Amino acid sequence: MAKAEVMDDVVQNTTMAGPVDVLVGITGAVDMQLLREAAAHVTNTLSQHGSGLRAVIAYPGIEEPLGGEAEEGAGLRSYKVAAASGSGAYWLTSGATYNSLFALAKSTGAKACVVVNSDLEALENDAVASLAAPVLAASADLVMPIYAQNRFEGLLNSGILAPLTRALYGKRVRYPLAQDFAVSAAILPTFEQPSKRVLTAGESLFWPATEAAIREKKVSQVHVNVRHEGIAAGVDLTAVLTQVLGPLFSDIEANASVWQRTRGSHAIPTLGEPFPVSDANGQAATPIDTNPMVESFLLASSNLQDLWSLVLPPVTQLELKRMTRFTPEQFRLPDDLWVRIIFDFALAHRLKTLSRSHLMGAFAPIYLAWVASYAKEVASISDAAAEMRVEKLAQAFEVGKTYLLSRWRWPDRFNP
Amino acid sequence: MGNQIVISLQSSMERVLERIATILPGLVALLVAVLLFTLIGWGLSWALRKVLNSVHFDERFGRGSSQLAEWSPTQTPTSLLGRIVFWALVVLGFAVGFEAFSASSNSLIAAGLLAYLPRIVGAVVILFIGTIIARFLSRSVLIGAVNMNLQYARLLSLGVKWLVLVLSAAMVLDHLHIGEEIVDLAFGILFGGIVLALALSIGLGSRDLVSRSLEKESVRPGPVNVEAMPEERLRHF
Repeated sequence: MAKAEVMDDVVQNTTMAGPVDVLVGITGAVDMQLLREAAAHVTNTLSQHGSGLRAVIAYPGIEEPLGGEAEEGAGLRSYKVAAASGSGAYWLTSGATYNSLFALAKSTGAKACVVVNSDLEALENDAVASLAAPVLAASADLVMPIYAQNRFEGLLNSGILAPLTRALYGKRVRYPLAQDFAVSAAILPTFEQPSKRVLTAGESLFWPATEAAIREKKVSQVHVNVRHEGIAAGVDLTAVLTQVLGPLFSDIEANASVWQRTRGSHAIPTLGEPFPVSDANGQAATPIDTNPMVESFLLASSNLQDLWSLVLPPVTQLELKRMTRFTPEQFRLPDDLWVRIIFDFALAHRLKTLSRSHLMGAFAPIYLAWVASYAKEVASISDAAAEMRVEKLAQAFEVGKTYLLSRWRWPDRFNP
Repeated sequence: MGNQIVISLQSSMERVLERIATILPGLVALLVAVLLFTLIGWGLSWALRKVLNSVHFDERFGRGSSQLAEWSPTQTPTSLLGRIVFWALVVLGFAVGFEAFSASSNSLIAAGLLAYLPRIVGAVVILFIGTIIARFLSRSVLIGAVNMNLQYARLLSLGVKWLVLVLSAAMVLDHLHIGEEIVDLAFGILFGGIVLALALSIGLGSRDLVSRSLEKESVRPGPVNVEAMPEERLRHF
């Protein structure tokens, strides 16, 4: 179906609705029974923030609105999404979904649009109200969540996504690729172009925090008691890296003129208090056996040198080789080395030194080496100290940004 | 006697010179045709790239080009089309040149070369594609095997690379009609040998692995114990 048709359908579907204050958009297929129960809960929690607030919950589905008004007052409404291109990650929200949701929010005139992952965790844990509140109070254009995760969860986010996004775009967003977030009506027109670009590109992800930072919009973050268990369960690590880092590196390439001008970073308003975290069995994080990950790195080090030499400069290769001589107890991947490796891979992605899947496949063992090193370091420290460790890494990314700038501008000349 | 030798040498010299004089215009025509078509090809390729860049062809073609980027990461659809146009005209230049050469020389060699030219072009294309496929597959296998923690990853990768290279070399020779039966036979033996060697090495190397996994399967005590697999508690995303 053509994109224009999809937009027409979205608008037609919503013209019947009255004024909407909060549009809650579910990004994937849902169980309707669970959705109805969650809708009642959302209405209750939203009413605590302001009486008379009208919420509509939109879910991807058939063309005609299904449930009309739910008993408790939150409307349920379906919306259509253009077919996925097939090359993106099925477990992450597609650009087409965001595009349809933003069009729906615009056509309904909603003051706030809260995007929610289809596992409905955010609906059941009061996160919708927490995310929508700063937008409704007009104190933020974009509200990102800070999830209640333990130190061994969201490692890709802690090790790459958050520190890299912060170093490049200057805003300290803890979860730049969050599956739940809220946007204001004011920011929707500015999101139209990037979400359409994402749709055209076919495989890219939409990075709300990056787009808001580029356009200098007000960004806040709020602690939410939400855990998306197993969102990427069963997905191969290389596939996860390809589907998340590939679009991130493409985004870096597309926004090169912006991040080259950004210096340092600044904190953004953070609301609420951190929620206590425990793992799936209700226990606090316990140490991890890192030996299998170290062994993966050692095996890769003896087999992938030819490929690494296409991406990494000699000094970095030498340091990686030195790491292979460490005992398991000594095994550490220093922050500055990790930062340079990430920047080198971002550059290789831009220069197309290797095919994209090969690039991420060659990166996977180095990522596991970082995970092993990080897991060892945070194994015996408190959650607060682990968070400080992530902060230290983010600072290393900021310091190392000059390396990226040099290599980006003179990829051949600056090759230490 | 001496006179006859001199006359014979003179006449053979005249014949050779006459042959060269007959061939020379054809050779010059061949060179001119190749040069001319190369220049035209370069110009057309340049113009095509300009036009495609001006209509943002790569961005419009974006969705389909991801596969192209996988196989040949440095190529964009525009650059690939430009190259195809350029090399098509170079080949056309050779065809025109050989035609002029054969028309001027009337020699059987020139006619044979002209008839053989498409086969040479086909063989070069097969070799080129075979090399790209061999490199891509060997890297894919190496990375995949390393990420699966297979100790014999490099061996596997080399095996795949040489399988594809041997296959494409045999196809090239077959396409050129060089040593047809011998090549078929040799290829069959070599290809079969490589497959057998790989099967033996992997089979023998992973015998313990297979028996361990079978044992594990037969004594698995109900649901998997999460504590026994600490890496399961790591969540990357």
